[in-house]
Amino acid sequence: MDITTFTSNKKFWIWGISLLAVLAALATLPQWLGSYYVILLKDILMLVLITVSWVIFSGPTGYMSLASAAFFGVGVYTSALLLPMTGAVLPLLLVIVIAGLVSFILGLLAGALTLRLKGIYFAVFTFGLVLLIQRFLLWFEMNITHTRGRFVLLVEDNTIFYVMLAIFVATLLTAYFIRRSKFGLALQSIGLNEEAAAHSGVNVTRVKVITFAISAVFMGAAGAIYATKLTYIDPYIAFNPLFSFLPVLMAIFGGLGSFYGPIIGAALFSYLQEFLKTEFPFQYMIIFGLLLMAVIVFMPRGLVGLVQRLLASLKEGPEEKSTPGWAIIFCLFGILGGLVGWFIFRERRGARVLLKAGGVVTLIGGAAYLLMFLLTLLGGLGGGYF
Amino acid sequence: MSKKILIIFSVIVLLVGGLFVACDEEDDDVNGNGEPPVTKDEIIFGGSRPITGGNAIWEEVGFGPLYRLWISEVNAAGGLYIAEYGTSLPIVYEGYIYDDTSDIGTMTRQLERLMTVDEVDFVLSPASTASLFAGAPIFSKYEYVMLCAEGGATSIEDQLYALPYFFGVLNYSNRYQLPVFADLCLELGIDEVAMIWIQDLHGIEYAGVAATEFANAGIEVLMSKSVPPDVSDVSLLLLEAQASGADALCMFAYPDQNFLIIGTMIGMGINFDAILVGPGGNISALPGIFGPNIEGLMFEGAWNCNSTPGAQAFCDLFDSVYPPGTGDWWGHILYWGGVQFFEQAIVEAGTLDNTVIRDVMATSTFDTVLGPTWFDMFGDGGGLLAIECHAGEIGQWQNMVPEVIDPPNQYGEKRTADPWYPKPDWPTE
Repeated sequence: MDITTFTSNKKFWIWGISLLAVLAALATLPQWLGSYYVILLKDILMLVLITVSWVIFSGPTGYMSLASAAFFGVGVYTSALLLPMTGAVLPLLLVIVIAGLVSFILGLLAGALTLRLKGIYFAVFTFGLVLLIQRFLLWFEMNITHTRGRFVLLVEDNTIFYVMLAIFVATLLTAYFIRRSKFGLALQSIGLNEEAAAHSGVNVTRVKVITFAISAVFMGAAGAIYATKLTYIDPYIAFNPLFSFLPVLMAIFGGLGSFYGPIIGAALFSYLQEFLKTEFPFQYMIIFGLLLMAVIVFMPRGLVGLVQRLLASLKEGPEEKSTPGWAIIFCLFGILGGLVGWFIFRERRGARVLLKAGGVVTLIGGAAYLLMFLLTLLGGLGGGYF
Repeated sequence: MSKKILIIFSVIVLLVGGLFVACDEEDDDVNGNGEPPVTKDEIIFGGSRPITGGNAIWEEVGFGPLYRLWISEVNAAGGLYIAEYGTSLPIVYEGYIYDDTSDIGTMTRQLERLMTVDEVDFVLSPASTASLFAGAPIFSKYEYVMLCAEGGATSIEDQLYALPYFFGVLNYSNRYQLPVFADLCLELGIDEVAMIWIQDLHGIEYAGVAATEFANAGIEVLMSKSVPPDVSDVSLLLLEAQASGADALCMFAYPDQNFLIIGTMIGMGINFDAILVGPGGNISALPGIFGPNIEGLMFEGAWNCNSTPGAQAFCDLFDSVYPPGTGDWWGHILYWGGVQFFEQAIVEAGTLDNTVIRDVMATSTFDTVLGPTWFDMFGDGGGLLAIECHAGEIGQWQNMVPEVIDPPNQYGEKRTADPWYPKPDWPTE
């Protein structure tokens, strides 16, 4: 679809205005939220934008890139070099731009080298890039500069938030317009059949390399501003492999098939992580693991796929034998949470939180379960569920 | 499944859910209304600690057991007397210890939560040197005392002038372990050493400081090689160290790597006249892991139950609560001295205001398990536990017991036993 044609589309304006309203609301948050929530929101925005950046390239092409941590880490290190605690070498915004550019160049180089590889070979190579840069910097720091980690200039929380929000908006806009442009169409055709795309006139290598590099820009910029919150970094902190795997998980969690799936998935995923780490520090790994397994088993198309399925059920009645297993899972987790809370009642605050979370999850699951049941009855599709 | 059963199940689920939520109604956070409390019935400690991830061992056997033991002791004694409230208040920490998953980004965010949302009275320090570095500006920003436990490095010292709430208790490389080890080498006649160190902040720091100290003492470094944290084979490195003819081998790495090196040396029959083991060599589980092979191994630390007049009572208390093998012959006595110091500072201040308590800590000397205890302050900034208060710097396993073998120096006489030199051969089965 042509961009001009598309922008005259009514749907575009509805979505655009809604998005603007959300962004305007986000921009006012630091005025009335406490610093912790501003930081939490900043971190959620960061994870969402890294996920969306990852999806820009890997979503349509199907190439599983694990280089995210490399691009992010390059941004972190750029900040450490240009914004040392002893005094900024360059203005903050310029450092962010430079970090994005450095990541872009790295993306170009890595893409030119690796994008002739496919499948598992590409994934392994991109992850190798993370380790290669990490180990090279370690060697460099140990043997050349003799530094033992670097202190980064402390930047005010609201400034970090607004910079992250700006990068977030830039990422969304880029992802959106790439997706709706001829360039995006070329990417999708590469994902469907690379040889066919090449035969139909798409310069496959050029499209892949440029998109790969564009996706790196935002990760690098995010890493640069993130470093100012960490205040201390070393190669292990900067090139944390977690940042290679998180975008993949988050995109799957939300659903890879749509534009907003990874956004919703990353936002919910990161908030869920924070909630579990703080409220269930001793159980969160188990709960989180079970939830992820439940998502993979019962929601193969992610959260967005689930919503689409529910909407389709409302419109056309449920699919044959589509037992609402996910609703049962919610119920079970809720009951489990409540019971655990009851058993450790003497831990006053922990128990309250467990009870609350258990109750909320049970209610959601129960209500959803009941809804599906009622829909079945109303639709006269008894054979669908029972 | 019949419809009736499903309806009943759904109703039960909804009722159970409603009940759980209803139970929460009386929930009211102690600091939830944002108003300063007129009265107070408990002191809340929070913390962002590594319950999972690579640093989880510190919560298991580092500062973790110590702060839990200290709080239970304080509460058993009726709490801390706070003059401002005219009463003794118990300490509460359950529900306020968050898992940082050994991730620094998570840790900094959780610290902000504890200080600005939960508004706890005190925040325990995070674990690991890197976490201390990243967390210190946040403690200073919100004016919370940071009694640092697991971590410390020379590179923080320049920053301390701008971190007034930082109080480090753990000894480390230049403060004052490696100067003591160099003196010990001179005493024992060690003049050639080999070093294996981990490729991270700890390794770089120790290898760098050791190189300086050895050079100052006229000791030659014949080999200095680094290993990555995930190293799985050190046999070639050990053969190289053996071939170098060094008198002593220093392992500046973490327990995973150090245990691998020790195990490989035992397996290959490679021995040195002296072997200094970094973190891991100090844990009380070591005899259970390597049995009589530990005899003569030196370690960084160090203290034992005879180090100070109060040490035996502390050992007895610790052993009465925790099973054998959970002790730490490097940090535990320092952490215990640290919390005893902190406790007295709070009572002396008579308030839970961290700014007042910080000033008391910066200017006072209190009696603790370490004896008279104070901090060396860096201008108007933070402080480090005075070297005179350390129980020791270098230990050695002798007859399956840790002994302090520091040579006497200007900071006092810490030795509890004469060093064994050369180290005995690995025992044969």
